[in-house]
Amino acid sequence: MSYTLRGRIESRLLGALVALVGAAVLGVALDRWWPLVLAGLMVGVGLLLDAAVYHRLLPYQPAWVAVPLGAVELGAVMGLAIALDVDAPVRPAVALFVGTWLVAQLLVHAGFPLLRPTYGEDGGELGRLGTAVTACCAAFLAFAGGIAWGTRPPTVHLGAGFHRGPIVLDHAQTLDGDGKAVIQGTVRITADHVILRDVTILAGENGVEVENAEHVLLDHVRVRGASADGIHVRQAQVSIRDCDIREPRGPNVEGIDISFAMDRPPSTVDGCTVEGVQDGIVTHTTNVHVEDNVVRGTTGTGIAVTEMSMGSVDDNRVEDAVGIGIFCTDYSECAIERNTVIGMRPELGSSGTMRAGFGIVVHYGAKAEVGENILAGNGRRIGTFSNAFVRTIRD
Amino acid sequence: MERCAIVGSGLAGFTAYVTLRAGGLAQGEIAVFGTDEDPAAAWRRRAASIRQPRMRSESDGHCYAASFPGLAVREAVRRRSPLPLLWTAIDRYNPTVDDFLGHVKELRAETGWDESFRHARIGAIRPADDGFDVGRHGCFRHVLLAPGHPGLAVPEELGADPRVVHAYEPHEYAGRVVVVGAGMAAAHEWLNALAAGAEVVSVRRREPARRPLNVPRPMFTRRGLTAYHRTGNKERAELLRSWLAPSYPPGRRWDVPLEQAAREGRFSVAERLNGADRVICATGFRRGFRHDPLLSRLVDENGLDTHDRWIVLDENCAVPSLTDAARTLSLAGVPAQWAFPAADTLAGAKYAARRFLRAVRACPTR
Repeated sequence: MSYTLRGRIESRLLGALVALVGAAVLGVALDRWWPLVLAGLMVGVGLLLDAAVYHRLLPYQPAWVAVPLGAVELGAVMGLAIALDVDAPVRPAVALFVGTWLVAQLLVHAGFPLLRPTYGEDGGELGRLGTAVTACCAAFLAFAGGIAWGTRPPTVHLGAGFHRGPIVLDHAQTLDGDGKAVIQGTVRITADHVILRDVTILAGENGVEVENAEHVLLDHVRVRGASADGIHVRQAQVSIRDCDIREPRGPNVEGIDISFAMDRPPSTVDGCTVEGVQDGIVTHTTNVHVEDNVVRGTTGTGIAVTEMSMGSVDDNRVEDAVGIGIFCTDYSECAIERNTVIGMRPELGSSGTMRAGFGIVVHYGAKAEVGENILAGNGRRIGTFSNAFVRTIRD
Repeated sequence: MERCAIVGSGLAGFTAYVTLRAGGLAQGEIAVFGTDEDPAAAWRRRAASIRQPRMRSESDGHCYAASFPGLAVREAVRRRSPLPLLWTAIDRYNPTVDDFLGHVKELRAETGWDESFRHARIGAIRPADDGFDVGRHGCFRHVLLAPGHPGLAVPEELGADPRVVHAYEPHEYAGRVVVVGAGMAAAHEWLNALAAGAEVVSVRRREPARRPLNVPRPMFTRRGLTAYHRTGNKERAELLRSWLAPSYPPGRRWDVPLEQAAREGRFSVAERLNGADRVICATGFRRGFRHDPLLSRLVDENGLDTHDRWIVLDENCAVPSLTDAARTLSLAGVPAQWAFPAADTLAGAKYAARRFLRAVRACPTR
């Protein structure tokens, strides 16, 4: 097809209108803004490329060219989403883009020519329908943008220096320490859509407590001196990114404990460093994805998925610790892949066979898929106990 | 009551008929005048003469009113294979001549073409108070002229040569064949004669252009047409001359046999005729409205605006001085090149037909 510039834009916008409506439905269903933000980015990137690049470079566009152009746009949209810190999970975001792209292709090659027999001759222009669609898209984006602007949670910036806790966050907001704020005491979160960012917490019992909340993001949170849990999550859904937990007060501290949230969407722990605690990252009865974390110097377990939890433990590094590196137990179901567990040592004085410095232990009715892990310098490699089941994949 | 007349029963007339029917006109509202009830008859004879296996047009080279589903989709469904879709995605799909003729036959039966067809050679169209007199067949408010090509072109100096045959007439190949011309028909004749074991000499005045379709692709859409329609008469005529010069598609299908034959000394290019046993004139058709008695009379009787060999038309293929809100006289097929450079293709026939339909629908008396 040899598009006119107007034809490109109108064809894109009519396809995008489907995407925007779909994103709005998805956004309402998920109670999240990212589908709409992503759809808005898709429209924006597409229009920019149409006007600045495609129209000049492509006087004629064979059908196959839509594939590489789609890949370029996908890369640009995802790159922008990351750069703008859009809280969009990668796979659903890619799925939304691909679905939208497929719908657009169907419309361009079948829908529009059926709807408007002169579509091809007109270079993709849609006449009055195109004008109406352009207006609808603009109105839709303006409306959604207005709602987003009007309902956005407030952002509170903590000044540099010390702030006395505890601090209770019981409504949607962003609390940003800008890297220089230090809170003495616990930060307690009991509301949805709370973001805690870039703060250091000199913990009391727990560093951060999250209870009965969803869509909570803990981003670049540093916890020092906790005597119970660094981050303590109960019946809640959280995304924990790039946290740093160390210097516990006492021998029985857990770095991150996410528990009793089976009825919530999956939580994620991503890019954290946990050091010197008894148990690094622990889940009980929770859906969880534990990825790209570093856990070192633990005395109990590095990462534990327990009590009928379901989750993936991928691309983590557990090192220089005692007892067990990665532990899947008590009827949990785990996918344990591409982790590096090195330097696990037996627990001195313990008579329990599981405590013999295993890289991975699957225990008590748990089921685990294990693959592509690097297990080196450990007391033992993989142990299976008490009716547990291990399926090795791609090793 | 019949309000629309299509003069010409070839593929351009047939495409217009299908478009009008799909656009909501009843079979009884349209009269088709022509000399052959089979809309593909003339085209079939020509394709058979040059032994053309596949169309030059692509998936949307059909007579259906909507471009989707095109012939590739239909073939994919029929063969239960995605290959036609893949080929069309990379612009390598050309339907077979048999498939194309099959779809014409099918559409002919579906649309009631035979009921609208009247066997008549129309000698003159004359404007009347409420439309146009179409010979003795009555008056029609909207008339589309699709007279087709005005005969085969044979260079004057070869007219009386007994060795000469036109590519679009049935013929066989001798041991040594000269093919005059360098367009699509000539390219077929080179390959056919070589396949028949002949030694082939291509006589051409210029090197043919290599492009997939008759004219550059943007000229099939508003992207190219907008600029084209802005040109003045002289510039437009020059553009048409350059685009309508001989061309045939690029690709190994054409090049490999010719290169191999050239290496074997069986294919060569020359500037003039030599002593071949058979001379095939792949020189296309006579060009210009003056070669068509109906168009020539129409121009002379009504003082129509012309430039060079073309009748000057509006962008919508209508004859400006004979078209107003209540009546339409449009051209389709090759005489409509002034409005659409590739008017002698199926895309061109549809371009003219859709605009004719628009005029009919907009007519306040309908």
